[in-house]
Amino acid sequence: MLEISIFFILAAFMLGGSIAMITNKQTLFSAFGFLVAMIGLAGMFALLESRFLALAQIMVSVGAVVVLSMLTILTINAKEENLPKEPHKYKWIFFTSVLVLPFTFLLYKTLTLLPQSFSTMETITSKVVGKALFSEWVLPFEIISILLLSAMVGAIVIARKEIVKKEEHS
Amino acid sequence: MTLAAILAAVISFALGALLALLTIPVLVWLERRVAGLVQDRLGPNRTNIGGFRLGGVVQSFADVVKLLLKEEYYPSHIKNGKWLFMLAPIITFAAALLAFMAIPFADTLIINNESLRIQPLPIDFGVFWYLAISSIGVLGVIFGGWLSHNKYSLLGAARAGSMVVSYELPLGLSILAFIITYDTIDFNAMVAWQSGTFFGFLPAWGILVQPLASIILIVALFAETNRNPFTVAEGESEIVAGFMTEYTAMKFAMYFMGEYVAMNTASAVIITMIFGGYQIPWVSTQMLLENFSTFSITLMIIVPVIVSVLVRWMQKNNRVRPSVSTDGGRNFETKVLTLAMIGMTLVVEAILIYLVFLAESSLANSITVALFQVVVFVVKLMIFNIFFILIRWTVPRFRYDQVQHLGWYYLLPLALINIFITALVVVGVSL
Repeated sequence: MLEISIFFILAAFMLGGSIAMITNKQTLFSAFGFLVAMIGLAGMFALLESRFLALAQIMVSVGAVVVLSMLTILTINAKEENLPKEPHKYKWIFFTSVLVLPFTFLLYKTLTLLPQSFSTMETITSKVVGKALFSEWVLPFEIISILLLSAMVGAIVIARKEIVKKEEHS
Repeated sequence: MTLAAILAAVISFALGALLALLTIPVLVWLERRVAGLVQDRLGPNRTNIGGFRLGGVVQSFADVVKLLLKEEYYPSHIKNGKWLFMLAPIITFAAALLAFMAIPFADTLIINNESLRIQPLPIDFGVFWYLAISSIGVLGVIFGGWLSHNKYSLLGAARAGSMVVSYELPLGLSILAFIITYDTIDFNAMVAWQSGTFFGFLPAWGILVQPLASIILIVALFAETNRNPFTVAEGESEIVAGFMTEYTAMKFAMYFMGEYVAMNTASAVIITMIFGGYQIPWVSTQMLLENFSTFSITLMIIVPVIVSVLVRWMQKNNRVRPSVSTDGGRNFETKVLTLAMIGMTLVVEAILIYLVFLAESSLANSITVALFQVVVFVVKLMIFNIFFILIRWTVPRFRYDQVQHLGWYYLLPLALINIFITALVVVGVSL
């Protein structure tokens, strides 16, 4: 009973945060909605006894993604009058959410087909995750690392190019 | 859950809350007195309640009363988002407070084959918890700085955010080197690893096993907690008070206390990871339990010596100048405190004598050892807090570009090299 009520509270946090993120005009409040949704997701993981994933969620999504996006918001410092006008905003939101509804069902079906170990409420510690990553899933893990590395190098190259150009101009 | 488990959980949680919250007034007082020491003056020492000054700690309570009674002022230019403006300092404070809860204060108690962790949150992934929760703290700073609608606040928040982002990398990488060395992410197991010896005679403390990573860790934690020399986010010579400019009264106090809790947490992490945590060098918990009578007789000799030195020092210093006629209740305070100290010493001695010569209970012995470890932990914590404060009042503030330069050009490559060396050594030793 307690678990179900905690689940509903967390779900309310996630839904409310997501809706606030999409509908808010002020970018910082959107970031706050995103933060609330991410913390709710971490709470979901913790509720599933997957402590490692819960903390990884907070560390990556909150500690890195939200902080970086908020830094971007700070540097842009968009004023309300400079924002683009969106007259049919809510209609668009409704339309796209109806459009992605079939994919949600697809996602639900795939999730129910996942191995039984996810549903047996066993505590998933960092040791279990590490062993699974470096034995069964070592190839996808390495491919993702290469992908991330190339993305990082690409970002550095894109950032560097402009500096070099500026120096040439001066 | 047995009664012992519930008791241990409640006591360690209460201990964690006390150590995190009750040290704030002490730390504020220490900050001012150490500043006075460095600048060759006295610092606050006059405030008293009925003659009791306690060296000036009472000043902190006067501060609290002042902050509570101050006018709650809201900048009128904040149109929407007042609730977030108020919530921002609370985010910072709560993150720092929660991060402290993963620190073990004593070794695992074993009562009837049941191991009880003396840790507010009995988790075995403390390092991860600290890294995850402490990264939330900067969000409060960014929200507060942005919602103040003030250029100084915005600059301070941007500085704090980018500094924390850039110093999280060396922090995480230096901690990774420790994780490779200790082969665990559990704070308790880290302390247990450090109770051994290194090269046969040195205590196996992190600072001796991993000197480079230790220095990077300390520097990165200074930056993470916004302490000098990394106070660019609130540099009053450049940007007034940074992100706190528009904050008043208790809202300001939340930021202020959050900084001290974060500093306390950082010192706790430092002593747990690289200074042997709750243990005294060369001596492990097992050794203390096996040679309990030797340990308690040594304690019986050492405690009166320390107390008598303290009492002498107090009697010499707690008095007014000879030219002042009224003594302001200082003799009375000295008398009461002396009696209290002697009484406490007698109680400790009586308990130790009872444990050594009369009772033959291993349970009481292990509880005594755990209490001793808590005391050792608190002493180490306070020493490291004083180190933090001394650094603040001796080193000038870095310029902002110097801070970023240090982080990206020196600490990050050094931490990466250190990981490679550590991995090579660890693999080489295990071959």
